[in-house]
Amino acid sequence: MTALLSATNLQKTYRLGRVDVPVLRGVSLDVRAGEFIAIVGASGSGKSTLLHLLGGLDRPDRGTGGDVTFDGRSLGSLSAAGIDRYRSRSVGFVFQFYHLLPELTVLQNVAIAAMIRLGRVGYLRQRGVVTARAEELLGLVGLSHRLRHRPAELSGGERQRVAIARALMNDPPLLLADEPTGNLDRASGLGILEALVTQRGQTGRTIVLVTHDAEVAARADRTVRLVDGRLSGA
Amino acid sequence: MYASLLTRRYLSTKLMPYVAVLAVTVCTAMVLVAWSVMGGFLDKLLASGRVFTGDVTITWPTVGFAHSDDLIRRLEARNDHVAAAAPLIQTMGVITLPDDQVVPITIRGIDPVRYARVVDWRGVLYWKPIDAPVPKDRAAEDPRLDPQWRARMEAALRDGLSMSRPDPVTGKPVPAAVPGIEVSGLSRRQPGAWYEFRKESFGKPNADGSIDWVGGFMPDRSVTVRVLPLDSKGRDVALVSKTLPVANEFRTDVFEIDKRSMLMPIDVLQKLLKMDESDAVAAEFNPYEPPGPDGFAPVPTTGRSPARVTSVVVKGQPGVAPDALLNTCLAVYREFADAHRGIVPSYAAMRGNERFPPRLIQTWEMSQAQFVGAVRNETGVVVTLLSFISLVASILILAIFWAMISEKTRDIGILRAIGASRAGVGWVWLRYGLLIGVIGGLLGVGLAYTVATNINEIHEWLGRAFGVQIWNPAVYYFTEIPRKVDPANAAKVFLGSVGFSLVGALVPALRAAWMDPVRALRFE
Ligand SMILES: Nc1ncnc2c1ncn2[C@@H]1O[C@H](COP(=O)(O)OP(=O)(O)OP(=O)(O)O)[C@@H](O)[C@H]1O
Ligand SMILES: [Mg+2]
Repeated sequence: MTALLSATNLQKTYRLGRVDVPVLRGVSLDVRAGEFIAIVGASGSGKSTLLHLLGGLDRPDRGTGGDVTFDGRSLGSLSAAGIDRYRSRSVGFVFQFYHLLPELTVLQNVAIAAMIRLGRVGYLRQRGVVTARAEELLGLVGLSHRLRHRPAELSGGERQRVAIARALMNDPPLLLADEPTGNLDRASGLGILEALVTQRGQTGRTIVLVTHDAEVAARADRTVRLVDGRLSGA
Repeated sequence: MYASLLTRRYLSTKLMPYVAVLAVTVCTAMVLVAWSVMGGFLDKLLASGRVFTGDVTITWPTVGFAHSDDLIRRLEARNDHVAAAAPLIQTMGVITLPDDQVVPITIRGIDPVRYARVVDWRGVLYWKPIDAPVPKDRAAEDPRLDPQWRARMEAALRDGLSMSRPDPVTGKPVPAAVPGIEVSGLSRRQPGAWYEFRKESFGKPNADGSIDWVGGFMPDRSVTVRVLPLDSKGRDVALVSKTLPVANEFRTDVFEIDKRSMLMPIDVLQKLLKMDESDAVAAEFNPYEPPGPDGFAPVPTTGRSPARVTSVVVKGQPGVAPDALLNTCLAVYREFADAHRGIVPSYAAMRGNERFPPRLIQTWEMSQAQFVGAVRNETGVVVTLLSFISLVASILILAIFWAMISEKTRDIGILRAIGASRAGVGWVWLRYGLLIGVIGGLLGVGLAYTVATNINEIHEWLGRAFGVQIWNPAVYYFTEIPRKVDPANAAKVFLGSVGFSLVGALVPALRAAWMDPVRALRFE
């Protein structure tokens, strides 16, 4: 089976003044379609950085920094518009720190992903469908009663659930989640995970998930560990 | 779509954008009010001086030209273009006012009836009975309303129309003058835009030491006119003076005209200026040599010299373009000059040529061109300067947006992460600037309209409350601040405001567009 997403020899170095700080030193990873992979590693080991590279938010080092391929196409070869489309349609991103837009309501925070994907005309035409799907997803994460609230009025766990709903809004084939359960209590964390896994069963979604939680990692098909800027099976 | 959602949200949750809207509103209003006042000024300027000028004026200044009646007859024969024509003598002189002040003045000699056929000068006669107070005279203090004064006002109006006043002894009409209402200083303009005359008497010493007590109602007084007659070649003859009763006063609302000019019957002025029919004196005449038997040089006459006027004013038929009327007048003058060759100024002298267009036969627009051009220029300068000042609003928007974008950096990262393009996030801010420009511009136009239509009330209020007088009628010609909100100008100013707001939003929008999404996300 061919890989949906593959990273070859990814290198990412941050420059702090004169000092080069290598974070990723040659990460290679193949993720098959429909696979659920957990990435574990120490804090600061570069898990978030790797996820950003996979999601087309950041680029590997110039020159020998390697490349990410999605569905047979190299992200490095895509135009700016192509990368934007990749982020919008192919990837759903759940961030470590929720990253919701504080001025928008919960419902708008979820629907905005579709607004960006559809553009003005498309959105206006499918407004009803979009709203219905956003409400459905929020129901799935247990927030049906908080649709008109602002993120500031929610708890950390609730915000993370909104972020998950937003990531699923465009029904992307790839979900990149950065510690989605890190801020939840055990029960609701596992509840969310359950929902993700069930969803995946129905949609065949591919999931790359960063976690510290062994129990969460255990639900994955495969777990990889990031150590010293390289991946090792775990 | 998300752009409109976000701009709406940002606008409704933040205070600073309202400051930006306010800045745009104030700048828009400032530019438009200035433009409206200057435009209104220009407009009024174009409309006002007309009381004393025809559509076309044919002039041979100061010394005048002869046979004007023939010229008028020829002009009026062209009744396809010419509605009426009338003679006018315009000269400089000094007058002695009732309180013995002597002031320089422009004197216009007119025939009250013939002149009225060309321009409606009767409408500017000030002293007349009125039935309702003028709009701003809230307390109805205007003496023209006073029943006690009614008969006097009626008499003044009658006298003004005929430019004469009955002699107190014989009752026979005597030619009388009509000075501008600001000339004497005895009539004072009130805030309500009516004139109060000096009712209490003031002492006027006579040569023998006795004192006459006189009141300040000008139509009860008289003025002494002094003019400098010149012969047809411009040589001086003598200084002459004549005392005329005052029939009435006129008010055009153009301060310069009301303060510095006077009307009087044309035949009287013609005699004073020695422009009436007289013996013609030989050109080579020298009064000192050789002396005759009686010690004086004999005065050789060469026949009769015809009466002269300085101008003929022409009124066009309705709908005739100024240029067409001008051409007709030029053609008529050419025939006229041919018929009186050597006696009246030649056609060539009157007409000028292509590069030096006619100065002496000109339309009213042409006669005002230089002045109007200057005012137009000044309007341009003021509007341009204020527009530059309005760039401050741009800079304010830039600063406010820059700060907001710094605060919203994370939002920009989030939007990029979920698929928004650079152009998309840039547009959020540009659109935001556009919205501020449109709202501020609309409010500004509304504010300008309100201010401009009430500008005289506002000015009066400023005067009452703070003692400020910005509009000095002596400087700006008009006693009231003119204004006209031109919709085309309003549209231009509005578009300018929107443009400036976009300029202000552009730099922050570019900054947002070029932000690195990962850095933006990690931004604390
Ligand atoms: N913009 C940057 N400039 C310099 N160093 C950076 C930058 N971004 C990340 N780093 C560094 O890269 C390393 C990896 O960071 P990253 O956020 O990927 O870690 P992580 O594995 O996600 O950690 P955690 O489990 O705490 O979330 C860290 O040492 C961090 O300090
Ligand atoms: Mg991390």
